[in-house]
Amino acid sequence: MTLRPFGAISRRGVLKLALGAGGVVAGGVGGVFALRGSAPTVEGLAVLSAHEYRTMAALASAAFPDGTLPAGSPSLDLARAFDTYLADEPRWAQDEAKQALFLLELGPLVFERRLATFSHLSPAERVAHFEGWARSSSELRRQVATGFRKFLCLLFYDQPAAWTLFGYPGPMISGGAP
Amino acid sequence: MSGSITHCAEVAPPAELTVDCCVVGSGSGGATAAWELAKAGREVLVLEEGGDFTGPKLTGRDGAMYDQLYMDRGGRTTSDLSISVLQGRVLGGGGVINACDVVPISDAVARHWQKKYGLTDFGPEQLEPFRARALEDLSANTPDESQLNRNNRLLRQGAEALGWKGEVMLHNRVGCVGSATCLIGCGFDAKRNPRFVAIPGALAAGARFFTRARVTRIDDAGQELKRLTVRRLDAKGYHEGDAFTVKARTVILAANAIASAQLLLRSGLGNEHVGRHLSLQPQLPVTVRFDDEVRFFRGIPQAYAVTEFEQHEHPEHGWWGFRIEAIAGTPGIVGSLLPELGAPGLERMRDYGKLAASLLLLPDAPQGRVRVEPSGRLRIDYALDEEQKGRFRDAVRAAARAYFAAGAKEIYVPTVPPLRLSSEAELPKVDSLTFAPATAPFLSAHQQGTVRFSPGEKDGGAAPDGRVYGTKGVYVFDSSGFPSSASSHTMAPIITVSRMLTQRLLAG
Repeated sequence: MTLRPFGAISRRGVLKLALGAGGVVAGGVGGVFALRGSAPTVEGLAVLSAHEYRTMAALASAAFPDGTLPAGSPSLDLARAFDTYLADEPRWAQDEAKQALFLLELGPLVFERRLATFSHLSPAERVAHFEGWARSSSELRRQVATGFRKFLCLLFYDQPAAWTLFGYPGPMISGGAP
Repeated sequence: MSGSITHCAEVAPPAELTVDCCVVGSGSGGATAAWELAKAGREVLVLEEGGDFTGPKLTGRDGAMYDQLYMDRGGRTTSDLSISVLQGRVLGGGGVINACDVVPISDAVARHWQKKYGLTDFGPEQLEPFRARALEDLSANTPDESQLNRNNRLLRQGAEALGWKGEVMLHNRVGCVGSATCLIGCGFDAKRNPRFVAIPGALAAGARFFTRARVTRIDDAGQELKRLTVRRLDAKGYHEGDAFTVKARTVILAANAIASAQLLLRSGLGNEHVGRHLSLQPQLPVTVRFDDEVRFFRGIPQAYAVTEFEQHEHPEHGWWGFRIEAIAGTPGIVGSLLPELGAPGLERMRDYGKLAASLLLLPDAPQGRVRVEPSGRLRIDYALDEEQKGRFRDAVRAAARAYFAAGAKEIYVPTVPPLRLSSEAELPKVDSLTFAPATAPFLSAHQQGTVRFSPGEKDGGAAPDGRVYGTKGVYVFDSSGFPSSASSHTMAPIITVSRMLTQRLLAG
């Protein structure tokens, strides 16, 4: 559910939030981009840029690190699944998702005044930072956190490899035990 | 004469066609209207945005099914992201993806509509034959004891221990195997929903159905022949393709309280009430951990309801208070409702087999609004007021008491931050729940009221016969017309009202 995660986010809202956080973005765009660094090229992306893909992958890998699923499970690239999903969304939804990823990437700098961007945090720091968004007094940050969390969890827990972690026998229609 | 189902993603309809009656939406309201009209010899075309999913096409997998069976691929929400608005988009409509609960409009609600909203023709006596017929359509029956899974029995056990009233709800399952995937469709076709009752009936009487056909506009609403602009959608319903035109003498909107209002607004039809008075009847899920296996993922998910705290004769609102109804979910949906990402969420999911769950269901005032922005984008505005938040806290306390009485080890309210209660002594913690936007996984499964019926144009969007004010021959025969919450589960009320209004239309 809630695969269209960012229905509430307007460009104006994102900019307002960023500017309201001390003008870090507006005042130092060049420095921000330098800090963000380059992102490895990712083949076959439909909507996300390499930087946006990297942010989403950083969030996904912090939430569900390698080794979460049993050994030998098929790999699930949640960031690419997000890109695939977005490809069939309206343009406004794509734009809002991209803005949300941009803001999340700059989150440590804008909201914690750290000289780091989200993808460069350790996995534990990423989870902690994301939790901060979920509990933020800013409605927009909570909305972004809600959208990403629902998307990632729905896809992660819907895969058969995950079911073995909590004893779900699978849907009966597909052969799951009664 | 036999009708047909045309999948517009595969077969292009003619560029223009003219019919007697065009029905928008194939759910409880639309399919019932189509059936009655076709039986009366009217030429009927039903336009449905969703695809046709039955049997093994209903795979029981969250990702694919929310994507295909729900509006906005399962992602429809209020504008502040506080409430997920669950609305079917499939041939057969909401009945394909609901939990099969059959709760008719009560006499008290019917009297409330008469008294407060002037709907004199909606009294218990007028509704009764149509209520009875709706129950017949749905093969309404009471689940027997063997069909109640432990999840439902635990809630009942707690309620009975406290001396509270409750009920096993009527349902419309026949031949249920207990797959528990009702909310993403029954792959065993055990729901007696419109897809298996009204639609076959309408087809047998000659009605035609177009799937993957999105109505984007209605023009000439004051003319004898109304003109509908319809877009073909691709096979998955993601993208619009060619347009075609349907001309119809009578147009019946039955696309749900969100989409019917949206279409009217997009078309510039109706008065200032269109889109207003939206009731979402919000629900809050809570989960409960027991020491031993519950296995709520098998059996009937939503059968038992605590009714102790609901009122049917509230002077201002009619049906009011709250209900606690057992519920279950598949892993994707349960995981996505939990407020914690990563390891803490996974720890919670490791208890999946030991979880019970309930929905706290609140009737609401018609306080929301559907709008269409200048860009064409849908906007659903709805804010929980302080009274509702207080009632939700009351409902959390009540659910916690019931489950502790049944031996629960922990009550878990999936808010941000989550609220955990391990004994009744911790109930005061419930006071900390603020329900600020985007901190709680509220759901809406029963949208109502955006084109409400009223005897006068100054108080509503449609006349009591369903005709949209300011139009000639454009009607709403779905929950859009309900002036207040009709019931805790709207399928039976919609069938009831749609058939009553269709028969009045045919008689008129």
